[in-house]
Amino acid sequence: MKHRARFAGIIAMLGISLAIAPDASAQTGKSPETKIAEDAATLSHDLSGVWMPYPDTDVPPGTGKNAVDQATRPPLTPWGQERFNASKPLLGPRAIPGHENSPSLKCDPDGPPKLLNHPNPFEIIQVPGRVFMFFEEQHIWRTVWADGRTLPKDPDPSYLGYAVSHWDGDTFVVETTGFNDKQWADPYGNPRSDEMRLTERYRRLNPDTLSQQIVIDDPKSYTRVWTSPPKLYKHEPGWEIAEWFCIADEDKSYDNTVRKPAGVAPASK
Amino acid sequence: MPNNSKQSAGKKLRTVILSEAKNLSRFLSTFSYLNRREILRFAQNDRGFYFYSACKKVYFEAWNVAANFSRLAGLVAFLAVNLLFAVGLTAQTDSLAGAPQSPAAVSEQSSALAHDLSGVWMQYPDGDVPGVPGMNAVSNRTRPPLTPWGQVKFDAAKPLVGPRAVPGVENNPELRCEPDGPPKLLNLPNPFEIVQIPGRVLMFFELGHIWREIWTDGRALPKDPDPSYLGYSVGKWEGDTLVVDTIGFNDKLWDDSYGNPRSDATHLIERYRRVNQDTLELQITIDDPKAYTKPWVSPPKLHKLEPGWEIAEWFCVLDEDKVYDDAVRKPAGVAPAPRK
Repeated sequence: MKHRARFAGIIAMLGISLAIAPDASAQTGKSPETKIAEDAATLSHDLSGVWMPYPDTDVPPGTGKNAVDQATRPPLTPWGQERFNASKPLLGPRAIPGHENSPSLKCDPDGPPKLLNHPNPFEIIQVPGRVFMFFEEQHIWRTVWADGRTLPKDPDPSYLGYAVSHWDGDTFVVETTGFNDKQWADPYGNPRSDEMRLTERYRRLNPDTLSQQIVIDDPKSYTRVWTSPPKLYKHEPGWEIAEWFCIADEDKSYDNTVRKPAGVAPASK
Repeated sequence: MPNNSKQSAGKKLRTVILSEAKNLSRFLSTFSYLNRREILRFAQNDRGFYFYSACKKVYFEAWNVAANFSRLAGLVAFLAVNLLFAVGLTAQTDSLAGAPQSPAAVSEQSSALAHDLSGVWMQYPDGDVPGVPGMNAVSNRTRPPLTPWGQVKFDAAKPLVGPRAVPGVENNPELRCEPDGPPKLLNLPNPFEIVQIPGRVLMFFELGHIWREIWTDGRALPKDPDPSYLGYSVGKWEGDTLVVDTIGFNDKLWDDSYGNPRSDATHLIERYRRVNQDTLELQITIDDPKAYTKPWVSPPKLHKLEPGWEIAEWFCVLDEDKVYDDAVRKPAGVAPAPRK
């Protein structure tokens, strides 16, 4: 059944591409090859814009709903297992009402890769030598150095880590180390240790679509490298990142009505 | 008795003149941050106002203290200080005339700096000098009288620093790790970075890892913005000054560390000017008719360019902050109080 569904998806995608392709070239009066080359030149190394994850119901086949995908998680190490058992998530099959201890309940700052897992928009801004990411979630911003520098030898453990990047063809590769172990790797309580090396691969498939693939290399928590399938984002040209701070006082009421009823929030597939 | 009172008044006068002399010399030392062209401009245009107001401050202090001694002494002190400044300024201007910069060099420098505020900026470690660039972007000294609403808010605020700090009863919003916002955010002695991109100016603050965007694409302020910690900001260039207008604040934060209120009616105006390669000037005006009876105009504050610096990660985290509060923030009165 699963295989058939995937096959159907591929057929559908091919059908759509075929339907669109002649139309686009007819409109511009250019050959498809010229159009593709032009697109590539315009898009080359430009990730800027506000990006929003595709809604759950609209995820193209072969891509993940969650940037960090539970289904592909490798076995935990003993240290990782201990951490995992101690975490009481707000959602998913392990959520128990009244026992949640998600760091977000204390308004602790969020960080990658969990930060990349939320169904909220983020904006990318590129300036010479740097790429900024602005997340609506907790109004967090993150610097990704793009000036050729290497990862620091002994960074201070932090919520966001220290991120450097390079272009690998049309793919923007972000590497981050220097994390603290106070955050989780995802909303389901999978651990993040101070040994984590996070790799994110961003590729703009077309003007409106960004692909993001996350690889977690954390030998202290997981017995193998955790590679998730890519997740797609939609370009939202008219959007502005709004102000959304986590306030401990205000969040109590928000938690009780929205976050706390465990199991009501979408569980991982 | 009259002799005694005269003696003590004389002592007071001496003390005030001495202390103000220190302030005035600090004021003069801010000249060293400015290049020669700037000194000339400072003397010639309305920025001379701040120089004048420093003199006035000494005059009034002397006048008050000397009131039961001799008003003449106060007047003499004022004239003496004025004379001192006139001499000092003339000397500065003379040395300028002696070594004029070529017009080409001046125009090159100004075009390179024109409309470029980018970089990491750190405030100068000066004290809060009256009427001159000081430590606080929002100066307590120039605060207008509070409205009844403002007074209620002010009385309810229990700051960590300043003369109203009482150990154990502090209720600063930052003790609960609430996000900071302008203008208080601009008052604290931490670095911030400015990044300019087409249509926007971005500001990154080390404090609380806050970022803020100022729209410079010509848009107007929104009609009915949602109240927020940072407000909604638009900016425009007036000559060499970036003027930032912000509205849409909530009333959950204070205007400064001393508990002065910020209402949702606040219209904040920030004027940024790069006075030379290494120096950024910020002047703040708070127009908040709900909290204050008049607009609150603070003297400009200077910031130094720190080319090698990166904004570090400093989040306010409730658990961790308890330790920090107990060790650093909570011992009220230990932290520097605003100088009188």
